[in-house]
Amino acid sequence: MDNEKKKYTGGKKYSNDDITVYWKPSACVHASYCYRELIEVFDPGRRPWVDMEGASTEKIIDVVNLCPTEALAWKWNDESKNEAVDKDQLNHIKFRRPELTDTPEPVKEVPPVSAKIMIDGPIVVKGTFTFMYNGITKEIKESMVSLCRCGVSDHQPFCDGQHRKIGFND
Amino acid sequence: MEDQKDIKSQAIVVVEDFGPIKITGNFRVKDLRRDREESPTEIWLCRCGKSNNKPYCDESHKK
Repeated sequence: MDNEKKKYTGGKKYSNDDITVYWKPSACVHASYCYRELIEVFDPGRRPWVDMEGASTEKIIDVVNLCPTEALAWKWNDESKNEAVDKDQLNHIKFRRPELTDTPEPVKEVPPVSAKIMIDGPIVVKGTFTFMYNGITKEIKESMVSLCRCGVSDHQPFCDGQHRKIGFND
Repeated sequence: MEDQKDIKSQAIVVVEDFGPIKITGNFRVKDLRRDREESPTEIWLCRCGKSNNKPYCDESHKK
């Protein structure tokens, strides 16, 4: 919902059970196809000027497709149906207002796990990895562990800072 | 943080009992002392402090 708000700047939208019609007043050139063809739905003299109950979904789609600008566009409320919409549906948002379509989130590139051998210090392992120690298995998610390399930590296998005390030198 | 759940484990870090740290999978090791970086498929890192080939395990822990 929030995403949609962010993407939808300027204009209004109107819905019935099947579809949503997007209205972008700044794009209207008053070609007047909409109200000449379907005054029951698109009536500039009425507020709100779009009444989605005024005609069948099919008829509304046909008339929205007549709009020669991006002032009117439409989509199915059932998102799964939007993908299959064909190019002859001129004013489907996919073709007319692509900025309104839900683009899938880009797949996040997962960086490799990073193991840093600190100078005279521990091994710092960072990232998303499976961590096994003392018979325990932990899934570490975008986090880190710091592992003893000097052998004297009292908190094995983790570093407890004692490498400094003993003057560990690698 | 839903999407964090989707990230698959990239590597397996095993702290072997009385032995080294074994890392396998998609990982990179950066050795700051020797200014070296490598991406092997597996590595054994010393954690007893006695290896003569640090940061790698040379089995000195067994001595």
